[in-house]
Amino acid sequence: MAKYSIHNLAKIGSLTPKTVTSLTAELSQMSIESDARRQVQENIRRLKDIGSYRGRRHAMGLPVRGQRTRTQTATANKLNRVDRRA
Amino acid sequence: MASISLRSLVRPSLPVAPRIQPIIAAFSTTSLVSAAAPPAIKSRKDLPKKTKKTYKKKQNIVPVKKPGPGERKAFRKRIQLSNNSALPVAGLDKLEAQTMARAESGGRMFAVPDEVVDRLRALEAFKSTQTWNLFRKPHVLVRKETVELMSRLEASVEKKEAFKCVLTGSRLSGKSLMLLQAMSYALLNEWVVIHIPEGQDLTNGNTEYSPVPDTEPMQFTQPVYCLKLLQNIYKANKAVLEKTPLKQDWTRLSATLKPGSTLADLALSAKESEFAWPTLSALWTELTLPGQPPVLFALDGLAHINKVSAYRDPAFNPVHAHELLLVRTFVDALSGKTKLPNGGAVIAATSENNTHKHPSQELALSQLEAGQAGKPVPQPDPYERKYDDRVYDALKNSTVMRLEGVSKDEARVLMEYWGASGMLRSVLDSRVVAEKWALGGHGIVGEMERASLMTMRV
Repeated sequence: MAKYSIHNLAKIGSLTPKTVTSLTAELSQMSIESDARRQVQENIRRLKDIGSYRGRRHAMGLPVRGQRTRTQTATANKLNRVDRRA
Repeated sequence: MASISLRSLVRPSLPVAPRIQPIIAAFSTTSLVSAAAPPAIKSRKDLPKKTKKTYKKKQNIVPVKKPGPGERKAFRKRIQLSNNSALPVAGLDKLEAQTMARAESGGRMFAVPDEVVDRLRALEAFKSTQTWNLFRKPHVLVRKETVELMSRLEASVEKKEAFKCVLTGSRLSGKSLMLLQAMSYALLNEWVVIHIPEGQDLTNGNTEYSPVPDTEPMQFTQPVYCLKLLQNIYKANKAVLEKTPLKQDWTRLSATLKPGSTLADLALSAKESEFAWPTLSALWTELTLPGQPPVLFALDGLAHINKVSAYRDPAFNPVHAHELLLVRTFVDALSGKTKLPNGGAVIAATSENNTHKHPSQELALSQLEAGQAGKPVPQPDPYERKYDDRVYDALKNSTVMRLEGVSKDEARVLMEYWGASGMLRSVLDSRVVAEKWALGGHGIVGEMERASLMTMRV
């Protein structure tokens, strides 16, 4: 925020058009939202395509990094997918 | 006989018809197939969730209108300058142009004229922490220090030289009120008054800032604050600004400014925050030209503008408050770098309620004070790292005026006014005055108020 001199309590409405333009330009250079999501999905798909252990664990919805699976694998179940959404 | 009676106790066996055919028709005639299938369970998410039973009683929720955004704060910060329950105090003179500078007004109460009250309000000179809301009309006590300060202000116009002053003293000793008195003196004498009501507002990073291109180290303007300040300056000094013509050509700022325009036109020419700082700086330049009216530049909460502000520059380095251009304008005036050729004053007040530990400012002020009194000058603490030379440079040319308690005579006058307003219930005699004076830390006005006006004990 300091880069564009935006103060602590700034609201979007109070930004000057120039600042908004430069923020937009800055954000357009970053991979955010769907771009970032696609990147993650591609990484997981690559793991699966090369047949690695991590890829398989992703496909099965199980913990990838050596955690136990007796209990508490809700997060893994939620997140570890090949077509990861969240 | 016995056998008969026993038999009568035996449950009679009802003949049960053997079910020959099973009951085919169920209660419902709909077949199972047509019922909607339960959702297929594909993952753990789809499993039925256990719901927690709560045994809490349902509260009786009555719809209440909550105050809107900002309403509570506005209520907290409101300035109330009159109280219809208080008695009007008769027989007190109004402040006039030279009243406060005369020695014979010392130790007397004066009414602040209504038009000055409005202009002071525009300058935000009244604080919500002061007890204006207890009395019918704003009155001020002219104390010994007031006369001293005002005569210095008077002398500054004659000498055509700025009077640079830092007001300091204990908590609740009346520093902000002294600023208010200085402002009313200036308004009554047709000076131009610029007042920054709270130094903290400029440096706590809560107002917009924008860098000034091509400055090294980078400097910043505060457009929104400057616009508000300009409007306040215009509201408070309308009459003076309207009869003072511009001395320089400012047509580059606004096309509406003709050669014959006045300072009021200049102040009004900034309609958007983008142009606020150039306009304010132009106004300040005009006011520092010879032949213009004297200026009073006042600021409350000095410690906050002598520190590293909460702002960051584009490289994320902290910004020293003196790199903020409005603060710098004040500091330059206070240090004497900007001359005021028409006389006038630059007054900063420290605040004890809202402050932080500031070793360099404390040291600079104590050194100045010792120098003024001819005492040995205190030396910096060799183990302290946080001294800031810029603070010393800012303060070194100013006069330190210390405010402490009022004298017993002044306390008596003040308490008589309280009594006449009906705010002090007890009989006023020298014993009560001495008691409250002592309770108030030897006449610290705010403490005396707390001891006598803001207590339930009568």
